[in-house]
Amino acid sequence: MLAHIARRLLTAIPVMFGVLLIGFILLQVVPTDPAVVRAGPMATPDVIEAIRADLGLDKPLWTQFFLYLGRLAQGDLGVSIINNVPVSQELGATIGPTLELMLGALFWSIPLGILLGTVAAYWRGSLFDRAVMAFAVAGVSVPVFFVGLVLIWFVGFKWQLLPFTGRAGPIWTVEGLKALALPALTLGGVFVGPVARMTRTAVLDVLGADHVRTARAKGLVERVVVLHHALRNALIPVVTLIGLQIGFLLGGAVVTETIFSWPGVGRLAVGAILSSDMPMAQGTIIVLSLGFIVINLVVDVLYAVLDPRVRVS
Amino acid sequence: MSAVATTAASVPAAPKRAGILRRLATEPGAAIALAFVLLTIFAAVFAPWLAGVDPYETNLRATMRPPGGEYLLGTDAQGRDLVVRCLYGLRATLLMGVISLVIGGGIGIAIGFAAAFYRRIDGLLMRLMDVLLSFPAILFGLAIAAIFGPGLVAVVIAMSVATVPLMARIVRGAALVVMRLDYIEAARAVGMNDGRLIWRHLAPNCLSPIFVFATLRFGQVILLGSALSFLGLGAQPPSAELGAMAAEGRNFLFFAPHIAVVPSVLIFMVVLAFNVLGDALRDALDPRLRI
Repeated sequence: MLAHIARRLLTAIPVMFGVLLIGFILLQVVPTDPAVVRAGPMATPDVIEAIRADLGLDKPLWTQFFLYLGRLAQGDLGVSIINNVPVSQELGATIGPTLELMLGALFWSIPLGILLGTVAAYWRGSLFDRAVMAFAVAGVSVPVFFVGLVLIWFVGFKWQLLPFTGRAGPIWTVEGLKALALPALTLGGVFVGPVARMTRTAVLDVLGADHVRTARAKGLVERVVVLHHALRNALIPVVTLIGLQIGFLLGGAVVTETIFSWPGVGRLAVGAILSSDMPMAQGTIIVLSLGFIVINLVVDVLYAVLDPRVRVS
Repeated sequence: MSAVATTAASVPAAPKRAGILRRLATEPGAAIALAFVLLTIFAAVFAPWLAGVDPYETNLRATMRPPGGEYLLGTDAQGRDLVVRCLYGLRATLLMGVISLVIGGGIGIAIGFAAAFYRRIDGLLMRLMDVLLSFPAILFGLAIAAIFGPGLVAVVIAMSVATVPLMARIVRGAALVVMRLDYIEAARAVGMNDGRLIWRHLAPNCLSPIFVFATLRFGQVILLGSALSFLGLGAQPPSAELGAMAAEGRNFLFFAPHIAVVPSVLIFMVVLAFNVLGDALRDALDPRLRI
């Protein structure tokens, strides 16, 4: 088990290195001199030179890369060139809302997807099955922004049921929960289909397995057979497949945050890129990438916990 | 060629082309999807002739007209005809998808064959692909838009890079199966050089999975590309691109929802058609790929 985790951690190293390299390259393409920006408009050339030496900008590129890594290790991601706020500070404020949004979306879409997929697999070929499959294909085909705009127009604007701009506080308050509802519905809406589809395939596989036939032969009631013998085993591949879809969810989150003015990392990233705020863009991209790598690691470990065979192989 | 013919029979699930078309035609969903795909391609290719009007021509006396009446799909905030805008938007969006798929898919195919054929570099190439696969496409989009600046070029590069590892894996998997067959050994034994062997004997037997994946991937590339344009990282307004048009329409959502809805629905329909067609192709060409 530990060896499995260690091996996965080792394979993540080159990936993380790649991410950091991209982050470094981003800072190199800044059209403005970071030393000038840090020094402010009133600085004398001496001060700028001092800052340049302080930041290591007078050293060769590869030395600068290691200096950059050193600063990252201390949590120093630089300063926004737009509003002079430390990137780490802005990131700290936006990570929470992004996690809220993703968890809010997963909270309802995964159970619903698993339920739909299981029922569809059980009544394979039925009208319900066909409807679920059609819904799943539609789910992977619909632009996230379209779902968001439709929800805003009907639920937010026409029926005035829920707010649709920004975050209104922590999710344990009624206001905060209300503000999260539409973004979470939007993001989860495009996720239900894929989860249902994956669950259906997995359950179909298991329903044909010998141990399910044995369970039926023992005379167990269908509910026990489906829930305990089939679905439980089917959940193993579903967990991995859901893990693989996290990237898809992240893409949706960036769009969802933008539509609903949700103060998350994705919206911050898009805003930074559009305003050529490279330190901020670099910081957001690094954080999103590292977050993604960590989630993948967790999914992999979870997989090993759920399925003992993985640990051995 | 006779070697190919004899083994084609032994490779499972390689039905004749005509049979595939007939099967697609008999399945109503697939037939409709195919017809719609052909129609969109036609509309995109002949957009300038079909539209007849400049997509940038504004008419401030006819802004935000709802669909129906004089303008079939209505007009946008500058009074531009949405039918014309959509035709050109379709053209830009599909072109973005095709170029990304040709570049990314082409490189992926080359890497896939190289990995399957030259076993010594297989490990290295596939680890490299794993690294690329560790990033979701949206992050490529963000990073490349940050480096090169927002624009369609950034979107095409991002979508290409995101397609390479997926295609490489599929091609490698398919090629490895074919490599085990006797006729490859036979072709080697008669002294055929590597390039010719790959081109004449390996590639033709890996076409089905490539074709199926390309169809399914096309839909995803369009979906992601239009999302990036919607975010302002791809095509820039006032250019007629479906994602960018939806983003423009978002500003007028409460006065004239059709400006955002029309291009969004069009993206939805095109992607849906490609996905349905891809699924049907997969079932017809290569049932082993079914997930």
